[in-house]
Amino acid sequence: MDLFLQTLLNGLLIGGVIATFTIAFQLTFGVLHVIDFAVGGWVVLGGYLGYYMVAAFGLDGFVAIPVAFVLFGAVGYLIGPILYNVRNSRTARPELMALALTFGLFTLLRGGMLTAWGFNTRNVTTALSGESLMVGPVTVPLIRVAAALFAVAIAGGLFIFLYRTRYGLAIRATAENRHNAALMGVNIRRLSANVYGLYAGITAMAGVLMGAIYSVNPESGLRYTLFAFFVAVLAGLGSVGGALVAALLLGVIEAYVATYVGSSYSLLAIFSTLFLVLLVSPRGILRRGL
Amino acid sequence: MKSRWLGLLLLGALLVVLVLLPLLVNNYWLRIATGALMWAGLACSWNMLGGYAGYINFGHSAFFGLGAYATALLMADPLGLPFTVTVLAGIAVTAACAVVIGAPTLRLRGAYFAIATWAFAEVLIQFATVMDFTGGIGGLSLPPFLNERFFYFAMLAAAVLTYLATWALFERSRFGLKVKALRDHEPAAEAMGINTALVKLQTFVLSAITASVFGAIFAYWVTFINPRSVFGGDITDQMVVMVLLGGLGTLWGPAIGGVALFVVNRLIWMYWGDTAFYIAILGAAIVLVVLFLPNGIAGLFARRRGGATVLDKTVEKLARAGGGDRN
Amino acid sequence: MSAATRPQALQPAAATDPILVVRGLHKHFGGIKAANGVDLEVGRREIAGLIGPNGSGKSTLFSLVSGTVTPDKGEVRFDGRDIAGQSAYKVARLGLARTFQIPALFDNMTVTENLLAAAAEGHWAGARERAAETLALLRLEHVADNRASDLSGGQQKLLEFGRAVMRQAALILLDEVTAGVHPNIRKIILEAIAGLRERGVSFLIIEHDMEMVRNVCDRIIVMDSGRVVTSGRFEDIVRDSEVMQSYLGRPQ
Repeated sequence: MDLFLQTLLNGLLIGGVIATFTIAFQLTFGVLHVIDFAVGGWVVLGGYLGYYMVAAFGLDGFVAIPVAFVLFGAVGYLIGPILYNVRNSRTARPELMALALTFGLFTLLRGGMLTAWGFNTRNVTTALSGESLMVGPVTVPLIRVAAALFAVAIAGGLFIFLYRTRYGLAIRATAENRHNAALMGVNIRRLSANVYGLYAGITAMAGVLMGAIYSVNPESGLRYTLFAFFVAVLAGLGSVGGALVAALLLGVIEAYVATYVGSSYSLLAIFSTLFLVLLVSPRGILRRGL
Repeated sequence: MKSRWLGLLLLGALLVVLVLLPLLVNNYWLRIATGALMWAGLACSWNMLGGYAGYINFGHSAFFGLGAYATALLMADPLGLPFTVTVLAGIAVTAACAVVIGAPTLRLRGAYFAIATWAFAEVLIQFATVMDFTGGIGGLSLPPFLNERFFYFAMLAAAVLTYLATWALFERSRFGLKVKALRDHEPAAEAMGINTALVKLQTFVLSAITASVFGAIFAYWVTFINPRSVFGGDITDQMVVMVLLGGLGTLWGPAIGGVALFVVNRLIWMYWGDTAFYIAILGAAIVLVVLFLPNGIAGLFARRRGGATVLDKTVEKLARAGGGDRN
Repeated sequence: MSAATRPQALQPAAATDPILVVRGLHKHFGGIKAANGVDLEVGRREIAGLIGPNGSGKSTLFSLVSGTVTPDKGEVRFDGRDIAGQSAYKVARLGLARTFQIPALFDNMTVTENLLAAAAEGHWAGARERAAETLALLRLEHVADNRASDLSGGQQKLLEFGRAVMRQAALILLDEVTAGVHPNIRKIILEAIAGLRERGVSFLIIEHDMEMVRNVCDRIIVMDSGRVVTSGRFEDIVRDSEVMQSYLGRPQ
C-alpha cells in the first residue's frame, strides 16, 4: 500500500513538471497551428544548460532555471517568425512543410547534441539532490517536490498571464480563431514570435527540472516529444485546460508501469496508450480537439 | 514530341546500364548501388502518400521493419520458409497494420496522422526490444545467402516496379487525379464525388507494402537485423529528407534525392565514420530545403521549363510550341 | 459541346416532380440557427435564385444539401431520394454538383487536370474530350496548362464553374459564381447556364446581383434568419416593396 501511494505521489509530481511544457506546447499549436516536434529538443537543451552551469561555474542547478527561460525564450523568439512564415506561405501544402520544418529542427538539435556531447548521460545537481521528504509512510525525493512546486508556479503564472492580462486575452483569442483575431487588430506574426519564445523558454525550464530529477542525454528528447504528443492527443490538440489533466495522468501511468511492470516497459505502455486513444477517439478523449 | 523521345532514350540507357552494372563494377560498388536502389525505392514509397496525397508519415520505418522482421522470423530456423513466401507474408501483415492505423486517423487533420504513424513506429521498436521472439535488443539473424548479384537484382526489380507503379497510378490514371485533388482541397474533392477517406487509405496501404518489400530484401541481404536497424526513426528521417530534397509529389524527385543523399551518407561514413554528425546534417538539410527549396531539385527543372509539375502531355505541348513561352 | 453538357441523370420518363425538395431543415451551430426550418423546392429544368441578406443561411443551406455539413433534422430529397445526412461524395455521385463561394480549386494541378479530376469519379469515358469542350465553352483554352493557383480571380470562378459542368450533374448549386468578375466572364457563365438548362440541367443559384437574378432566374427564393420567407417571380417579389425593404434592405 505504501508503495502504491508513493508511486501515485511520484507520478503526480512528475506529471506536474510535464504539465508545464505540454501546456505551452498546446498554446503554441493553438496560435501557430504547428505541431512542434522539436519540443523534446528544447527540454534536453534546458537540461544540458543546467548541467553546464553546475559543471562550469559551480552554481546550483536552480540558478539555471531563469537563465534557461531567458536564453531559450530569445532563441524561440527568433524561430517563431520563421515557423509562422512557412505555415502561412503561399507555397504548396504549408501545413505539411511546417511539420517537416519542426521535424528537421528536432533532428538537427538531436544530431547536433550527439555530435557535441556524445551519448553520455548528464544530470543537474542542486542543493536538494539526494535529500528526501517523509510524508506519512511515504518517502519522496525532495527535488521532485521542489520541481513540482516550481512547475505549479510556472503553470500558475502562465494561467494568470493568459486569463488576467490583455495580452493573454489576445493569445487566447488567436488560439480560438485566428481569422477573427486578425480582424480585431492582433498582429499574429508578432504574437507567434512571442508565443513561441514563451513556449521555448518554459520548455527549457522544465528541461532543467527534468535534468535534476532524472538525467538527460541527446536521445531522451524523443521521450519528451512523445510526452507532449501524448498529452496533445489525450486532451485534443490545442486544448490548454485538458493538457493539465492529461499530463498528470501521464505521470501516474508512467510511474505505475515503471514500479510494477518495469521501466523498460514504460515507453511501450505510453506509446500503446497514445496509439489506442488515437484509434478509438482520435480527436482526444478529454475534449474535442481541433 | 522530341523531349519525350529524348526522355525515353535516357531512361532506356539508364536501364541498360543498371542491368549491366554487375559486369562493370566490383562487389564493393555493387553493394553501394544496391543500397542506392533501396533508398530510391523507399523514398518513392514515402512520396506516394507524403507527396501525392499530402499526408506526412513520420513512422514509415514501421513498415520497412515489419517486412524485415516478417522475413527474418519466417526464414529463420524453426520455419525456414522460402524468401518469396516471407515477402508475401510481410506484405499481408503490413497491409493489415496500415488499414488499422490509417482508417481512423486519415479522416482527421494531417497532424493526428503524423503523430499516429510516429507512435506506431516507436511502439514497434519498444515491442521488438522487450519481446523474446523478436530476439529483443539483440535482434535476429537470417540464413546467410552471400550472393551480391541476387540482392542487386532483387533491389533493382523492386525499385523498377515501384517507379513503374507510381508512374502508372499517380501520373497516368484517374486514381492519381483523385489523390492530387484531395491533397489540394479535400472538401472540393468530396464535392466531385471522390471518396477521399478510401483513396487516402488505398494510397497509404500501397505506400506501406512497398516499404515492406524493401525491408524484406534488406533483411535477407544484411542477414542480421535489430529493432533500431529496421524500425529506427533515422530510416524515416532519411526518406523524408530524400523526398523533400528531390521534390515532393514528383516522380523523379525521390530517385534524385534518394541517390544523392545515400552517396552523401556513404561519403560521411567513409571519411568520418560518425553517424551522429550525419543526423545533424539530415536535420539541417530538412530545414534548409523547407526554407529555401520547397519544391526540391525537381522543382528547379520544372520552373526552368516555365511550368510546375504537370502531366507529360503538357510537356509535350510546350515542346511542340517551342517551349517556355507561357506565364 | 453536346457531350460536355449532357446531364448525368436525365429525367426518368415523365418526371415532373421537383428535382430538389427540402423540408423542415434545421442546423444549429452553438446558439446560431443557421438553418431554422428551411422549406424549398427546385423544379426540373428550373433556374431558381436564392437571395437574402448576409448570414441568412444561404451558403449553409448549400452545405447541408450537398452533404458537406450534416443537418440536425429535416428532409432533403434529390431526384426522389432522401439524401439528408449522406456524405458529400455520395451526394455528388447521385448527380448533384456545387461550387464554393471562395474558389476551392486544386491549386497545384493544371486547369485541365482540375477538370479531369472532376470527372475522375463517374463518367470517365470521353472525359478528355469533354474537358477540351468545357475549356472551349468557358474560353479557358489558352490557360489549359497553367496551374490553377496562377489564374486570375475571374478565371478561377470560371474553372470552379467548369468543374461543376464536368460532373454531368442533374442539379448544380452555384454559390455567387459571378460575384466580382468581369462582365465578359459573367456573360460566358450566363450563356453556359442557359445552354445547360436547354439540356435539362436544373440550377439553384445564390446571387447578390439583382440584374443577374432578373435576367437568368425563373423564380426567386428569399431567405432570412435561416428560413425561406417567400418565393415567386422576380417582378412579384420586387413589387412587394415590403419584402425588398425588410429582407434585401434596398427599397425601390
